[in-house]
Amino acid sequence: MNKTKEVSWFYFFMGLACFLIPGVVAVFIAYDRGISFAPVFMFAGIVIWGGLFWLFPFTFGRLGKGKKKVSFDERDQLIHKKAVMAGYVVLWLYFVAACVVAWCIVGPHGTISVNVMPLTLLGGLVVFTFVQGLASMIQYGRGGKDGEK
Amino acid sequence: MAKSEMQNHVRRLRFEHGEITQQQLADKVGVTRQTIIAIESGKYAPSLPLAFRIARTFGVSIEQVFQYDEQET
Repeated sequence: MNKTKEVSWFYFFMGLACFLIPGVVAVFIAYDRGISFAPVFMFAGIVIWGGLFWLFPFTFGRLGKGKKKVSFDERDQLIHKKAVMAGYVVLWLYFVAACVVAWCIVGPHGTISVNVMPLTLLGGLVVFTFVQGLASMIQYGRGGKDGEK
Repeated sequence: MAKSEMQNHVRRLRFEHGEITQQQLADKVGVTRQTIIAIESGKYAPSLPLAFRIARTFGVSIEQVFQYDEQET
């Protein structure tokens, strides 16, 4: 298993884990009926850092160029690009779905809490991370010994 | 509709050139072993620069390593 594949697994499990965390946060908010500014900033920070995740493999690739052992080559780069693209496509679909669902639930003249916004953003990050990891793994294939299929 | 297929003789050339391993070839051309595996099994079509590097490693022309067949379906 090469480094990029390991990163894909990391993204996949992080995405899975992050499905649980927002669920716990949503339950907490539902009980507490309110939200302070600290979690909002925390969510924003997570979203910004999450948005930069896709740059990391390229950075590793550049840093590792001088070393003899290659851990990130053109195929990994291509797979990563496609995975990021898949992540962004699903991310947009997620935001469209979120808007439509909100409209369907509260109606054309209804109002929604601003608390929904950071949660929607966090959800977007989770979906992006999860889909990116999943798309990478699909492209690498399930693999046998050292990714050999 | 035209169906294109890339075929290659990387595996055969490896054995003909001193039975070099996939890892040794990967190190020579600057990719991972997984990429060599994917190329040999036809799952990945390498970029033109990589194809040239592989051909030069074996000391042959690029056409002797990679063939492109276009089939009408």
